[in-house]
Amino acid sequence: MGSNGTNGDAAVGSDMPRQKGKATPDTLKVGCIAMVIKDGQPRRAEILSIRETKSGRQFYCNFDNFNKRLDEWVPVGRIDFEQDVDWPNPDKDKQKDGKMKKASTAQKKIPGKKTQKRVGKREQSVASEGQTPHPWTDFVESQQVKASPQKAEEDDKVVASLEVGATPGVGSDEMELNEDETPAEVAKRERAASFSREEEIEKLRTSGSMTQNPAEISRIRNISRVEFGRYVLFPWYFSPYPEIFSQEDCIFICEFCLSYYGDLKSFTRHRLKCTLQHPPGNEIYRDDFVSFYEIDGRRQRTWCRNLCLLSKMFLDHKTLFYDVDPFLFYVMTTRDERGCHLIGYFSKEKESADGFNVACILTLPQYQRKGYGRLLIQFSYELSKIEGKLGSPEKPLSDLGLLSYRQYWSENIIDLLLGFSEREERCTIEGIASHLAMTTQDVEHTLQALKMQVYHKGEHKIVIPEKLIQQREKSKAKQKRLIDPERIQWKPPVFTASNRTWGW
Amino acid sequence: MATRKVRYKKLSVKTPLQVLREDQIDPTEYESLTNESQIATGVEQAEENEYHLQAVLQGAGVAADKEIPVPPPEQSNLNYDELYSQRFSKTSTYIRFSQTVEECVGCMYDMTEDDSVFLKSYNQKRGANPHLSEDDFERIMEVFEDTAYIKTPFASVDQTIVPYDEMIQGLQDLDTSKVMPHAKEIYEYWKSMRQALSNQPLHPALKFETHQETDEMDPYVCFRRREMRQTRKTRARDVQSADKLKRLRKELEEGRQLVLASHARELLKAEMLKTDRAIFEQRAQLKEHKIRLGIKTDDEDLINQKPQKRKAPEVPAIQRPPPSQIRLPVRPDGRPAEADLAQLADRLAEKENELRADIEKKVQNHSEWNKNHVDLTRGPLSPVRGPKLDLSFRPAKTQYLMTPPASVSSGAEEPTPMDLDKPENPPSVFHFWGVSQDEESLERPPKYRRRIGRLNRLWIDRRGMASPPRDHGDDNMSDKWKYDQSSDDEDTTMFEVDPYDIRALRFRSSIPLPAWMTNRLVAVPVGVGNRPAILPPGALPPGALPPGALPPGAQHPNQGVRPPSRQQTGG
Repeated sequence: MGSNGTNGDAAVGSDMPRQKGKATPDTLKVGCIAMVIKDGQPRRAEILSIRETKSGRQFYCNFDNFNKRLDEWVPVGRIDFEQDVDWPNPDKDKQKDGKMKKASTAQKKIPGKKTQKRVGKREQSVASEGQTPHPWTDFVESQQVKASPQKAEEDDKVVASLEVGATPGVGSDEMELNEDETPAEVAKRERAASFSREEEIEKLRTSGSMTQNPAEISRIRNISRVEFGRYVLFPWYFSPYPEIFSQEDCIFICEFCLSYYGDLKSFTRHRLKCTLQHPPGNEIYRDDFVSFYEIDGRRQRTWCRNLCLLSKMFLDHKTLFYDVDPFLFYVMTTRDERGCHLIGYFSKEKESADGFNVACILTLPQYQRKGYGRLLIQFSYELSKIEGKLGSPEKPLSDLGLLSYRQYWSENIIDLLLGFSEREERCTIEGIASHLAMTTQDVEHTLQALKMQVYHKGEHKIVIPEKLIQQREKSKAKQKRLIDPERIQWKPPVFTASNRTWGW
Repeated sequence: MATRKVRYKKLSVKTPLQVLREDQIDPTEYESLTNESQIATGVEQAEENEYHLQAVLQGAGVAADKEIPVPPPEQSNLNYDELYSQRFSKTSTYIRFSQTVEECVGCMYDMTEDDSVFLKSYNQKRGANPHLSEDDFERIMEVFEDTAYIKTPFASVDQTIVPYDEMIQGLQDLDTSKVMPHAKEIYEYWKSMRQALSNQPLHPALKFETHQETDEMDPYVCFRRREMRQTRKTRARDVQSADKLKRLRKELEEGRQLVLASHARELLKAEMLKTDRAIFEQRAQLKEHKIRLGIKTDDEDLINQKPQKRKAPEVPAIQRPPPSQIRLPVRPDGRPAEADLAQLADRLAEKENELRADIEKKVQNHSEWNKNHVDLTRGPLSPVRGPKLDLSFRPAKTQYLMTPPASVSSGAEEPTPMDLDKPENPPSVFHFWGVSQDEESLERPPKYRRRIGRLNRLWIDRRGMASPPRDHGDDNMSDKWKYDQSSDDEDTTMFEVDPYDIRALRFRSSIPLPAWMTNRLVAVPVGVGNRPAILPPGALPPGALPPGALPPGAQHPNQGVRPPSRQQTGG
C-alpha cells in the first residue's frame, strides 16, 4: 500500500480515474473538480451547486482539504479555466447509485431489532480489540461487506487498511498523520460517503447519537445570513430550517425563544409579544459572569428544536434526524439588563449507553475564542463529577471541538501532573482519569498527543515537557474565568421507567 | 520503517508512573511512545487531514496563536434596543422556569410585510368605521390557521380549505365585538394567501416526517419520532394496566356522582329558599291579619325560633374552589369537608392518650424484661444515702406496762439503749429515765437502729434523743460522747428535717440567703412549678421566699443544718 501517484490532493471527489478536459463557464457542471482561487491561492475545488444571480453565474465550491465552513459561492472570475477540469464519471456515479439502492434494500430485509443487537456487539468488540479510533467507520465497512458482495475485492482492500488502523503498531508507517493519503483511505471515504446513510439511520435508532453523514445535499449551506440579537452571523453549514428560507437573504432569530423568521415585519411583531428573557428552564449555576440553565428536550420541545436548528448552522456533525426528547440541554448565558443571552450550550443524553457526557457542544461564533468553550467543557465534567461517572464527548469531534477538548484536557492533566512531580509521587492513568472525571482513553490520548508518555529504563514514565509548563503558566495568567463547582445547584435528574418506556 | 530494539511492557492504566519534568531526565535516554501508535483524534477521518486542523495540530499544543479560520460574525445594524426593549431584573435566587415558548409568546401568528400592506389598505377602505388593529388581525389569523390545521391536516395534499362557517366557532373565543365585523373579509384574504401557497400553512414550518419514502433522504425532514422501546408484555403488566384503568374509571365515576350530587343539592337549596320565602310571606300575611284583627299575642310564631345553624357551614361549601384532585374524599351526604375537621382539643387529647398508652406499654415491657431477673449480687453498689436510710430507724415506743417502777432508779440514770430487733418484738420492759419529755420529744419519739458493723460488731444507732441536761458539764459528759466521734465515716447519716417544723423554720429564717438563690429568684417560681397550689408564681415578693417552699433540689444549702438539739448519733 504505497503512496498514491495522483497524490493526496485528490481529497475531493472520487479516486477513480476521471475524464479530464477543458471546460467553459457554461459547460462546467455539478460534480466537476476545478482549480479555484481561494485566499489568493489556486485550490482544487468540487462544484457542488450552480446558481444564477443578477451578477452572473455562481458556483458553490468545496475546497480540497478545507473545512466545509469555508465553502462558498464563487463567481466565474475566480475559476481557472486554463487548467483541465476533472469531469464527473457518469458510469461510476450511476453504478454507485444502483449499489446504494441495493444496499438499502438489503438493509431493509434484515429485521430491525436483530440488526441493532448485532451492530452493537460488533462495535463493542472492535473497539475493545484494538482501541479503534473510529468504530463507526469500522461498522460501516463491516456492513458494507454484506451489503455489496460484488465489490468484495475493493472492500477487502478497505477492510485491510482499516484493520491496520485498528491495530496500532503493525504497520506504523501508514498510520502517521500526513498530508498524503493512501488510496485505501480515499476509497474508504468514498465508500463511507455512499453507504453510510442507511447505517447512519440505523445507528441513530439505536444509540441516540447526533452525528450526521456529510454526503448529502445538506452539503450546501442553505442560509447565508442570520440576524441574532446584537449580531449578524454567517452560518457554516446546512440547517433544516423551512425550505423557503434558503431564498431569503437574511433570516431573523429571536435571541431568547430562538424562533426564526424570514420576514422582518413578522420578527418585529414577534418581538413585541415575546416575553422570554432567559432560557426556559431551571438555572443550575450562576456566578458574576455566566449562568447555566438545564432544559429538558421533552418539556421544552419547541425551544430545544429551535436551539438545535440554530446550532446546526455551526455544527457539521450534528443531525436533527430525530427529535430532541432524549436529551438534556445545558445552556450557558451571560446576563445584562436585557436578559440572559445565549453564549453556547452542550446537550447530553438522558441516558448514554456509551457513557458520553456531551452529545453536541457549541459556543456561538460571536462568543468564540474568549474562553467560553472551556467553561462549557469544564461544566460538563463538573456534572460528571457530581454524577460520579467518567465522561467523554460523543465522537466524532469537529476540528474546533478537538482543539478545545485537547486544550482543556492537557491543561488539567498538566496541572495535576505538576503536583505529582513536586511531591515526587507516582500516579496512575486511572488516578488522573478519576480525578478529572475523564475516561482513561482520553487521558492516554492526551498524554500521547503531548508526547508525555515515555519508555525509560524498562519503565513507563511521564515526562512533562518544559515548553508545556511555560505555556501553561502563560495561559494561567490569562485565564480568569473558571466554573466554581460550589455554585452548582444540581442533582442528576432521574427518569422513571415509564419515562423511558413511553418517553421516546 | 524503523523496528524497535526493545519490546515495551504493556502499559496498564493501573500502573503507577513516575512523573518527571523534562529537565529531570536525559532526553537521549528515553523514547517517546507517541510515534508508535496513532493518536485517536476523534475527528471524522475524512476531516482529519484538513489543512487548518493539521496546521494547528502539528504544533502539538505549542501554537496557541494558530487558529482555524471561521467566517467572522458582525455587529447587527438592526436597532437592538427597540427590538429587545424589555428590561430584565436579576433575581436573587436561581431562576426556576417551566413555561414553554408558546406560553411566553401568546399569539402565535406574526403578521408579515404582505399582511401589513393588506391591513393598511383594508383600514383605509373602511374610512370612518372602526379599524382593525394589528393585534386583532393576528388573533383572527391565528384562529384561521389553527382551525385549518386541526380540521384539514392534509390541506396541502387534498387542497381542501376550511369554509368560513367552521371558522366562526373559533372566533367566538375572541373579543367578538371587535373581531366579528372584520372576520369575513379577513377570511377572504386568508383564503387567498393560503391558495397562493398551495394551501400550506402561512408561516414557514419545519418539515416533519410524512411517512413516505421520500422522508428518508430529505435533509429538511427533521425531528422524527424515535421508535419506542418495546416493553415486554407480561401478565403482571397487564394486570397493572387493568388496575390503572379500573381505578381511572372509578374515579371518573366518582367525579360524575359528585357533580350529580351537587346538582341535587343546589336544587334542594333552591327549594328551601322558595319555602323560606313562602313562609315569610305567610307570616307577613299573618302579621297583617293579626294587626287588622287586633290579636295581641307575642310574635314568637313569626320568627324562626333558633337561628338555622346548618346554613353557616354550607356557605363555604359553595364557594370552595373545585377540588384540584380527583381523589378528594367525597362525602355521601354532601356536607362540607370542614365539618370533619378535627378539633385541636380532640387532637391534643388523642395525643396525650397515645403518649400515656405508650408510657404504660413501656413500663409493662420493662417489667416483662425484668420478670425473671434475680439480683444475685450482694450489696451491689455502695449504699444509697438519703432519707431511705432512715427507714431502718424505727421509733421506739414506750409502753407503760403494769409493772412496778424499777427499784433502782439511780441505776437508770444513764439510759442504755435497748435492742429493738423488730417493731413487732415485745417492747422493752425498761422504762427510760432521764429523758426529758418535752413537747418535741413527744412529737418525735426516739428512734433506734440496729446494724451489724465490721467484725460482726453489733451497733445500735439512736436518734431523736433529747439532749441530756447540760447543767453539770463535767468530765463524764466527755466520756459520754467518747464513742460518738465518727470513726466510721462511711456512714454519715442524714437527718430528716421536717421543713415545716417551727423550730427549723425559725432557725432557717435566720440564715441569710446564699447569693446563688438571690440571683435565681426569677427562676424559682418555675422551679416550684410542681407545687403550684402551695406557691402560685408571683405571689411572693422577691427575696421573701419561704425557705420551706424550696424545691427539693434547692434544699441543699440548708441540709447541713441539724436540728438544734444537735443529737449526734453514734457510728
